[in-house]
Amino acid sequence: MKHLPRTCALTAAAVTMLSLAACSTTDPDASGGSGGGAEGDVTTGSGVTDSEITVGMLTDLSGPFAAGAAVQVTQTNAYWDQVNADGGVCDRDVVVDVQDHGYDPQRAVTLYRSMAPDVIALQQVLGGPTSAAVLPLAEQDDVYVGGVGWTGSALQYENNQLPGASYAIEAANAVDYLVDELGVPEGGSIGVVYFAGDYGGDALAGAEHAAEERGVEIVAQEITSQTTDLSAQASALVQADVAGVVLAAAPTQLASLAGVLATQGADVPIVGMNPTFNPSLLGSPVADALLANAYSITSVAPYASDAPGVQAANELYASVAPDGDLGWEVPLAYVQGELLRQALEGACESGELTPEGVVAALQESSSVDTDGLLPDGLDYSQAGQSPTTTVYVSKVDADAEAGLALLEEFSGPSAESFSYGG
Amino acid sequence: MSYFLTQVLNGLSYGLVLSLIAAGFAIVFTSTGVLNFAHGSIVLLGAYLVAVLHPTIGFWPAMLVALFGAALVGVLINALLVRNLADPTPGAAAILMLGVDIVLLTELTRRIGNQVLPVGAPWGASVVRFGEIALPTGRVVAAGVTVVAFAALWYLFSRTDLGVGMRAAAADGPTASLMGIRLSRTAATGWALAGVLAAVAGVFLTSFPSPGVAPTIALSAFAAIPAWVLGGFDSVPGAVVGGLLIGLTSALVTGYEGDLEHVLGAGFGEVAPYVVMIVVLLVRPSGLMGSKEAVRV
Repeated sequence: MKHLPRTCALTAAAVTMLSLAACSTTDPDASGGSGGGAEGDVTTGSGVTDSEITVGMLTDLSGPFAAGAAVQVTQTNAYWDQVNADGGVCDRDVVVDVQDHGYDPQRAVTLYRSMAPDVIALQQVLGGPTSAAVLPLAEQDDVYVGGVGWTGSALQYENNQLPGASYAIEAANAVDYLVDELGVPEGGSIGVVYFAGDYGGDALAGAEHAAEERGVEIVAQEITSQTTDLSAQASALVQADVAGVVLAAAPTQLASLAGVLATQGADVPIVGMNPTFNPSLLGSPVADALLANAYSITSVAPYASDAPGVQAANELYASVAPDGDLGWEVPLAYVQGELLRQALEGACESGELTPEGVVAALQESSSVDTDGLLPDGLDYSQAGQSPTTTVYVSKVDADAEAGLALLEEFSGPSAESFSYGG
Repeated sequence: MSYFLTQVLNGLSYGLVLSLIAAGFAIVFTSTGVLNFAHGSIVLLGAYLVAVLHPTIGFWPAMLVALFGAALVGVLINALLVRNLADPTPGAAAILMLGVDIVLLTELTRRIGNQVLPVGAPWGASVVRFGEIALPTGRVVAAGVTVVAFAALWYLFSRTDLGVGMRAAAADGPTASLMGIRLSRTAATGWALAGVLAAVAGVFLTSFPSPGVAPTIALSAFAAIPAWVLGGFDSVPGAVVGGLLIGLTSALVTGYEGDLEHVLGAGFGEVAPYVVMIVVLLVRPSGLMGSKEAVRV
């Protein structure tokens, strides 16, 4: 019996070695190999055969974000089908391995471990806690990860590609826009209502930086996603006489805040970050308050943009899901595919169609254009910083498709002077 | 002064909705000894039924269906699952209810999707003004309905055979059973009552100043847990007092966060209910109005 622990330890060590070997992203058979055919001497790695490139997608098909995630999966599959029909990438078809983590970080890690040897890159890891669990592992393995949202904390990973401006940049722009375009005077107050955690914290940091630059006061109110009645917060903002509000929360909170502010006679603009608007709010009793005062700042162009990229994304989605839900997920899923396609093309051109080659192509891309889906000239060569300072400002509008009418692309002075760690 | 009163009324009106939910927790606990962690999902179910039915049959008939539906689900959970537990201990029942909560919540989340479904309440986004203070009409209606509901509960528990039977069953099940009280009937009544209270609370929790039904409502219902615990696990009047205390605390701490931030830090409004609960339990371990456990020494 005395030997049992040692036997166990040896077995455990052997299993660990085997699993580590299994987790290696470099396929030993492929590391020195080269794909044949027209692409000549391209080195290939995990997830790449002579005819196919496999990309992964870790999403939430059974948890709280299942509905929006389903839209993104539909659109992603349609996008790659279209790319394949046009000749594929590096003379290969791209196939997507979609797995459901159910918004559970542990499951996301397990799925990542099992998926990593067979994919060249992860187009998306949906969700804050899930992507926070996967990103460091993927960075160690040198695997590209896209579509993890817009929190600044994800920028520290050099293998991550943020689809547009981070939340701090969005919030700094929100303050700039409130001051420059929506009449908040110097010395005035701006309310910031934000979710506790990565998302809200990043937005608050951007807003505080901008407030200092623009000479306005911040009145901060921290909430959680369970806070669906914002009466107390709205009353406090009215009492502080705010001239505008920046909201880093979700659609329920936007509607509650707009409704209560309106009943208290506070006719002030509310600028929400990316995920705060949902077209179904226009059927709620507070639709009038939203139409009067709600704005949205997004990193991705809204559904109603007439940019060629957005139109292409919308047409593609309409062709595969004529009755599907409309919203910002449609252009977002398309542009995530587009960003990954460009990184894969870059890897192919450099002759390294491997996970490491895709990450290297990402890090070398200093001026990425996406036909108006994201602001032009995205710079991914500056590690740790937002790839752009430009965002899209929209106004809630009942006549616009998906309820948001694009007003302008905007890059304010505070967003331009903001730097992470600076 | 009007700001203080505004926050007090915000807090009391929200607290009454919380007390409806807390009373549901307390009634299930007294009638069957179960910590009903699926109560939040039943709150969501009630609101969801109103949201999907009101466009076709109107708000009030949809409300009736929701009351009946939530009560029925409660009764079925008790009859099919809780009563058939092989190991009928409070711990096993609590874990069972966590499982029921996951199943119900997952299905409702799937059905709701990423929509926010309005419940179509006739009071819409209107407000009632008391001088300078504006209070959402929905909350005024909620206050009225809550007072009526608690009056009815008081009548049931103190003046009817069924209610007295429920109290007897809660105090000492085996003896009550020997006296001819059918425990299955008192338990079913308890679950049905809790379902009705959950559906009513669900509608008020999702009508203005909230925009509609979203899956997070099930989590918002858990804000009532400190109210239930500090009122005493088994006391309906305790749940009412607990709800009011928690609502008031949240509103005042949030309302004066700017002044309190240097002492208590940002976001203390979210934590305050739990701090109040802990302080109350330190002073009164059985809660404000809970029955003290008799221990033979």
